[in-house]
Amino acid sequence: MISWPNLVSQLFNGLALGALLALISSGLTIIYGTLGVLNLAHGAMFMIGGYAGFVTYQYTESFILAVIAGSLFVMLLGIVMERTIIRHFYHRPHEDQLLVTFGLGICFVEIIRLIFSSQSQLVPPPAIFQGITNLGFMFYPTYRLAVVGIVAIALGALFIVLYRTRLGMIVRAGIEDSVMVDSLGINVYRVFMMVFGIGAMAAGFAGIVNAPVVSLTPGIGDDILVQTFVVVVIGGVGSFPGAILGGLIAGEIISVTSMFNPGYAYVMLFAAMTLVLVVRPHGLLGVQGRE
Amino acid sequence: MTDDLIRRGLSRRGLLQTTAGLIGGSMLPAMPAFAEDKPAIGSYPAGVSGSTAFIGISVPRTGTYAVQGEDELKGYQLAIEHINEGHELIKKISPKTSKGVLGKELKFGVADSAAKPNEAVQAQQRFISENKAIMITGGTSSAVAVALNKLAQREHVLFVCGISGSNDTTGKDCVRYGVRQNFFGQTAAAAIGPIMVREFGKGKKAAYLTPDYTYGHTVTKSMQDFLATAGWTTTTNQVAPLGAPDYSSYLLNVANSGADVLINVNWGHDAVLSTQQAKQFGVLDKMKLVVPYQVPFIARETGGLMQGVFAATDYWWTIEDKFPLAKMFNEAFEKKYGYKPEWGAENAYVSFAHWAHMCEEAGSFNPPDVIKAYEKGETIPSLVGDVHYRPEDHQCVRPVIIVKGKQQKDMKNKEDWYDVVEIVPGEGLMQKPDAFGCHLGDYT
Amino acid sequence: MLKQRPFLIETLTAVGLIVAPFVLPHLGFAPNTVNRILVWGLFGLGFDILFGFTGLLSFGQSAFYGTGGFVAAYLLTRAGFSNVLGALVIGMIAAAATGYLIGLIALRRTGIYFAMITVAIAEVFFFVEFNPLSDFTGGENGLPGVPTPSFDLGFTSIHFTNGWSLYQFIALCYFVGVIIALRIVRSPVGAILSAIRDNPLRATAVGHNIHGYKLTAFVIAAAYAGFAGGLLGVLQAFMPPDAFTFDTSGQLVMQTAIGGRGTLFGPLVGATVWLFLQDFLQSALGLGAAWKLVLGVVFVLLVCFLRGGIIGGLVDLYGFISGKRARKAAETEEIDVETPQAPPAPMQAKEVAHPAYSGPILKATGLTKRYGGLVANSDIDFSVDQGELRGIIGPNGAGKSTFFKMLTCEVAPTSGQIMFEGRNITGLKVTEVCQLGLTKSYQVNQLFTGLTVRQNLTIAALAELRGKFRLDLFRSLAGVKGLTEQVEHTLALVNLTRRADTPVSELAYGEKRRLEIGLALATSPRLLLLDEPLAGMSPRERVETVKLLKSIARGRTMIIIDHDMDSLFELVERVTVLQEGRVLVSGTPEEIKTNAAVQEAYLGGVHGEIAA
Repeated sequence: MISWPNLVSQLFNGLALGALLALISSGLTIIYGTLGVLNLAHGAMFMIGGYAGFVTYQYTESFILAVIAGSLFVMLLGIVMERTIIRHFYHRPHEDQLLVTFGLGICFVEIIRLIFSSQSQLVPPPAIFQGITNLGFMFYPTYRLAVVGIVAIALGALFIVLYRTRLGMIVRAGIEDSVMVDSLGINVYRVFMMVFGIGAMAAGFAGIVNAPVVSLTPGIGDDILVQTFVVVVIGGVGSFPGAILGGLIAGEIISVTSMFNPGYAYVMLFAAMTLVLVVRPHGLLGVQGRE
Repeated sequence: MTDDLIRRGLSRRGLLQTTAGLIGGSMLPAMPAFAEDKPAIGSYPAGVSGSTAFIGISVPRTGTYAVQGEDELKGYQLAIEHINEGHELIKKISPKTSKGVLGKELKFGVADSAAKPNEAVQAQQRFISENKAIMITGGTSSAVAVALNKLAQREHVLFVCGISGSNDTTGKDCVRYGVRQNFFGQTAAAAIGPIMVREFGKGKKAAYLTPDYTYGHTVTKSMQDFLATAGWTTTTNQVAPLGAPDYSSYLLNVANSGADVLINVNWGHDAVLSTQQAKQFGVLDKMKLVVPYQVPFIARETGGLMQGVFAATDYWWTIEDKFPLAKMFNEAFEKKYGYKPEWGAENAYVSFAHWAHMCEEAGSFNPPDVIKAYEKGETIPSLVGDVHYRPEDHQCVRPVIIVKGKQQKDMKNKEDWYDVVEIVPGEGLMQKPDAFGCHLGDYT
Repeated sequence: MLKQRPFLIETLTAVGLIVAPFVLPHLGFAPNTVNRILVWGLFGLGFDILFGFTGLLSFGQSAFYGTGGFVAAYLLTRAGFSNVLGALVIGMIAAAATGYLIGLIALRRTGIYFAMITVAIAEVFFFVEFNPLSDFTGGENGLPGVPTPSFDLGFTSIHFTNGWSLYQFIALCYFVGVIIALRIVRSPVGAILSAIRDNPLRATAVGHNIHGYKLTAFVIAAAYAGFAGGLLGVLQAFMPPDAFTFDTSGQLVMQTAIGGRGTLFGPLVGATVWLFLQDFLQSALGLGAAWKLVLGVVFVLLVCFLRGGIIGGLVDLYGFISGKRARKAAETEEIDVETPQAPPAPMQAKEVAHPAYSGPILKATGLTKRYGGLVANSDIDFSVDQGELRGIIGPNGAGKSTFFKMLTCEVAPTSGQIMFEGRNITGLKVTEVCQLGLTKSYQVNQLFTGLTVRQNLTIAALAELRGKFRLDLFRSLAGVKGLTEQVEHTLALVNLTRRADTPVSELAYGEKRRLEIGLALATSPRLLLLDEPLAGMSPRERVETVKLLKSIARGRTMIIIDHDMDSLFELVERVTVLQEGRVLVSGTPEEIKTNAAVQEAYLGGVHGEIAA
């Protein structure tokens, strides 16, 4: 359906998709940038955020509480995971870190499947965001519009944490030079724990905010994880602005390609990633640093 | 589940055979001399030499079609239970049945196919070689059904197809060793098409949401072909991969296509998600929704979005007023599982009952004999009246039921989702047997 | 690890494969399950070379598994090709070619980036298979009807149908796969691959084109995957679309880690455990869909506590039991440590490519390096004559290490030019420079810590004997001419002959330092740069090392940085003093000792340190 109205709709939809991807990817990228650990369970954390919110919603019927509970639960899960398992992997090779987080991701998905079965679960959007909004050039689900706003606020909050607090300063310094941070006499492990918690929380938050858009299934995080990788590679590993830029680019590519043939959406996404790798191996906003 | 416990181990004969094969370098199968005079073929007679016969069941228990798979499995389990105890309902369908099939108690093994052909083939190969399964079943995805068709033909083990809506299953990918009870794309189109033209008029514009595999492509094609005869056109056909996480891009294309009717061919969770999102994007307010191949539990899972929606189905429980066997089935099913059966369970149950019937008719588990019993084309009972199997393509000729989603206020109970609009007899619906290029292949 | 009696592993594999059909049925394995395990095992052989031996964790193997599988299946089902083995081989070649192209992109980055890219690659292949190529691959339907192999031998024809009959064919394929894999890991290339896993930086520095070798491993893994993919189609008479899914890659990774990486047989063991548990948990215990959770937990526990997987665990156990005996033997041996040895003959530097050249061996002009606003080296002119022994001193932060890094082309100068034997080497890669005959020993040890001393030196010597890149995949290490001599000689020179088969991790610090020098030496450089060779040594070790340096100095040029001036001045003929990134002065040790500027800038402050 190639037409101007449809192009505008798809561009707008790309923004909405991209905003969410940006949020999830920023969680992944700050964990990686600071700790040097690529969390392959990040997609599962996104999924668990949705389910934790779903359970809360079942009991309280409050969407706000669901969002808070979903985020906090995943943050807690992240902290526990860091303290009990990830911590022991800082000094082991990257492959081991990948393996253990990959395995944990599978465990998380299967535990959720065991508890909730494969049936899809629904979290309705809050009452004020239900229905459709007429944007003039298109109709768009009100809640998806709200998601763009909510995600923008969350990214803003993350920006403040990263660029306006002491913790953020350490995190950004760590991304640029991990050795330096070690020598600053900072309790690195505490920082690591908090960063892991915050990164996980970003995924969990995105998970519950996204829940009313799609219905929840245990496998929901798997596809997202791969997309966030592409986002991170395009934007530059460890770069928070890169994650945002990469997220938006990815969202637009998926959406605009879908106008011509949705089947090629992901092919184009990966083609874009390849192009970036060839032209700018460190990503659009990445720096030559960690490998 | 304990009765699923499978006894393993290779017989001494098998081992000797292997030994001979390995030492000899070639594998001339040393045919064992058995009491029966029929030559060994597939898992026959090894699989029925004891007091039991084994059935290999592979249904999706995870993934996009998990909900429907579990339902299907319940139908199979109920049928096996009824066959083994000689239940009254089974005897109505298969009069010669007393207990079990030909006096053998049925055992079965269940494997999760996740709607993936590979998983299904892997599991069934195991059931055939380890458990000497005499019959295999599975489906819910036509890709799985087609793959199992080919496996059945190669292994010479009968495949009684589960849910499969593709024309190809008994069309170009048909096999001698496969039979199908349920309705499919072409019959669905032929049954629901006239009603759509009646309700919505001629010369309308339709948009399609199609899952990207054999089922989706053939159902969409059948709908397009039929509706074209009434002057309908296709504005867009949005083909999505199985298990797509988000349909927003597809739906924007649909919303901007100017169609009058949205024909959603997606199935399982994909159907639920795409329908929900169609609602979110206002598509359902702009166009009428039609689900040509009904998805069990979609009404419940979408929370009422099926109101006023037309769908074609194999079975809907409220036909029990017309069909006494359906009433018996509903009662037995609800007693065991606590809810009204959907068509997945019905198809599973009836397929097994028909198979029991054919084995009893043939007087043997010998696959060519059982197949020939199917091919007699004898009229036999089902839950929706009398039906028969076509010898040319092994497709059951059976009615298609057209339902329309009820408004909430009209629902008599929480499972009263649909009105039965019409029960379209099977005879006039079905394409000519050779229309889809079916070549059944050999008996041996 | 796999170096034992000749053909022991091959023989055991053959025996195992022949015995399997007689034993496994009694353990509850059906022929189809065994065949499936073998296909996974074959798939894993290549993957283990990539992951276990080279250290490249790829989540993208499904791309090649699917490519090979679908090319073979397409040929056999749609294109009317009837030779099954031929189709499998063509599929393998197609997969290898795809692997080459993908490798060119994916290997641009390493480590975690590489893993992410491979995940993306797996996904893109999946989508390509479903959409643009669905006419060839059957899309979601896959390709049914793949035939089984048969061979016409003239007098009789053998047809492998299914079950144990097909097993013979698959087992034969697996056996050939094992033999090839063993050849590869025992070849010079195999040694270099494990060097890359251990320390890619040093593997580069001793003169190996590691990108080429990584690509080789990637292509090998793709070829194995492609062949195994084709076999999968043959095995189930159906080429499933899920061969392309990410799950396939994930399962392979998990199976390899469960069985034990770097063992070649790990994937086979892992697949056995996987398929057994899948079957056992699902049907015997009735766990239904929860079986995967159990496997996931098992996997996480193994990764946490048993790095080497099941095989690694068994090896450790064996080592633990037999180690007790070995340690007793070692203690008795420890007594004759001080056995005096005849000094080894000096080692020749590699032949000069153009002997006519007679100017200075190294000449740097206007060398400058800036990091942002920071100037590390500024406008250095530096020249060393052939056969000279030059020392470089300077206070901390004088830019000595940066200077060395520029000379060996580890970092590119911001401006300036470096001539080595009259040839401009500015902008060359460190590997090329090493191949020309210029290398360095590092200030901080850069050893292959997972390998033994002998293996370390072998890797360095291979660079000199084979050049920076060579695909002698099927040559045994023993077949490399001059390798043993070179390694033994270097061992003797750095006095590590007795420790030759000790893992680096068990060496004392001084021994590691000597090995560090040995690594540089084994590449037979004509110009050897030594960055603080004496750092951290005890006085006794220093004396020994100075002796060592003197002996290796014969026939080659050396430049040495060190803070131990007494030792340095005793060793070298001329000294260059750096200060704040510039050359302060050059001269003989005597001149430097008495130079006022040097004393003022440097010696006064550091003498205390030397005295201590």
